[in-house]
Amino acid sequence: MEFTLLFAVLTAVATMGATSLLLGRSGRIAGIERPVDVLIGAAVIGMFAGRVAAMVIDGVNPFANPGQIILVRAGVDTRVASVTAVLALLWMTRSRLPQIIDAVAPIAAAGLGGWHAGCLWRGTCLGAVSDLPWAYGIEGSSVTRHPVELYAALGMAVVALVVSKLTERPWFASSVTVAGVALVRLVTEPIRPSLSGGPVLFYAMAAMVGLAGVFVARIRPAAPPGSLTG
Amino acid sequence: MRKLLILLTVLASACGAAQPVASGGDLPLFDAGEFTNRLEASERPTVVNVWASWCLPCRSEAPLFTAAHAEFSDRIDFIGIDIQDTQEGAAEFLAEFAIPYENLFDVNAGIRGVLGGQGVPITYFVAPGGALVDTHFGIIDEGQLALALDELIQATSG
Repeated sequence: MEFTLLFAVLTAVATMGATSLLLGRSGRIAGIERPVDVLIGAAVIGMFAGRVAAMVIDGVNPFANPGQIILVRAGVDTRVASVTAVLALLWMTRSRLPQIIDAVAPIAAAGLGGWHAGCLWRGTCLGAVSDLPWAYGIEGSSVTRHPVELYAALGMAVVALVVSKLTERPWFASSVTVAGVALVRLVTEPIRPSLSGGPVLFYAMAAMVGLAGVFVARIRPAAPPGSLTG
Repeated sequence: MRKLLILLTVLASACGAAQPVASGGDLPLFDAGEFTNRLEASERPTVVNVWASWCLPCRSEAPLFTAAHAEFSDRIDFIGIDIQDTQEGAAEFLAEFAIPYENLFDVNAGIRGVLGGQGVPITYFVAPGGALVDTHFGIIDEGQLALALDELIQATSG
């Protein structure tokens, strides 16, 4: 039995809950009750799709081996999971899209930060070898390493903090979130332990999409005051 | 929220269980003494992955070891040990995942007596000369495997 992954997920959920309370966005937003639950639902759908995609990529037939779908621990395709989660969120909030997406954007960024900080439960914070003063090593090892997952958690927290201040234009906060989160992952990916080099191209594309969204949102009219939290 | 917690609990606790034993002869048979001598005589680090064809987590981590072998086989030796399995199951498993490195058949799980541990999968990281550097019990993901391999190389290159 392994509960460390569960603890990491619960850390992400708790971070999202705390952030929504701090920002006053835990109740009804734009006619939708408990938008954080909608966000969590979208994340679970994305995780499921990402797991199935990882199985297919690994050559495992999900229909012949349905039991393996629950082995999230064995790998989730980040690209498919992210895109599916975003699509699920779009579908679940389709009638009030910009308000909901912008309102939950900092909460999502904080949740991702909580997920990365969950490495402390799992013992998976470390990346490339480093001699920096804050670098530390695996117990019993003389090699010290970058705590790359904590860098990512810190980066996501900064993104969440910045985005929580942005309320003036539809799609602006969500676009900044996509760009910021993608850039954090893009910057940390080279020092993350990986056999394949990681989905760097995906994060670069996501950053560009986010930045394009920021540009488009800037040239659109401003939203009415209070529209993101009412 | 309650449904979510139940789902998450199921996801996190998924793991394999012991199965009945059978015997056969296609894969070379594991011998504890020979294997110990081999590790002690090795001049390169060795990764030993313990698996079984009936073990779901083993199926999911098999592609990772194939990828790791492609990346690190010039610096690290890889050996698979199939425990508590049938030769038929082993052959199907190896063919399905196109595992490129050597595998041994260990019907009585004697590897656990040599390197310790319980359950399956288990992954042992062994230094040249046979010293056990690290043991990972249960399923291993890409980040953990990549880190452990780098740690093994760092620990044995100095």
